[in-house]
Amino acid sequence: MILHILNRAPGTSLVYREALAGMGPEDRLLLIEDGVNGALPSQVRHFEPVSNRLFALREDLASRGLVGRCDETVQVVDIDGFVELTEEADKTVSWF
Amino acid sequence: MRYALLVQGAPYSQQASHSALRFARAVVTRGHTLDSVFFYHDGVYNAARLAAPPQDEPHLPDAWSELHEQYATALLVCIASALRRGLLDEREAARHGKMGHSLKSPFELTGLGQLIDLGQRCDRLVTFSP
Repeated sequence: MILHILNRAPGTSLVYREALAGMGPEDRLLLIEDGVNGALPSQVRHFEPVSNRLFALREDLASRGLVGRCDETVQVVDIDGFVELTEEADKTVSWF
Repeated sequence: MRYALLVQGAPYSQQASHSALRFARAVVTRGHTLDSVFFYHDGVYNAARLAAPPQDEPHLPDAWSELHEQYATALLVCIASALRRGLLDEREAARHGKMGHSLKSPFELTGLGQLIDLGQRCDRLVTFSP
């Protein structure tokens, strides 16, 4: 299992499409930095193919005033959870 | 586990350096070994000896240095990226006839081969880009 890390919002960059195309059936996707905008109910449809494997970083949500505004399908993790996700994955791939 | 980080974003311009630093601290807090942080492209500005950010803002070069002091994390700077951007240690400054040096200790100039080595030697290599 690969952990994919995306730091771009779907509204400002199409790199999320490449990330999704590069993901295997077991891979997970973590949204960080501006990428956490993709966790909002209005944008989460872009990540429908990985809806049960989608995570967002709490610290980056907090710095943007978005805590509690995520779609319910998104699993929110803090920085400790981020490290834990990298532990569980065989390797990580960053998309930017 | 043995971790390495790749930082490619300029400090104070993009979030990459701050994200990487937060991740680095979490890695060592969880008991892992943070072997090295490799600074590449504009990420090399993290090693600026003369950086003097406002006192109420994070001092990234100092923060990386503290990580080195506490956890022996190597701070590796791509030499090709650094020389282009005016980040020289004393040796390179002398070699290029420059009056002063600008690379902060304990950051060290190194080659891309070190990055390849980290990828092979560490359990995880996590990239933070602009």
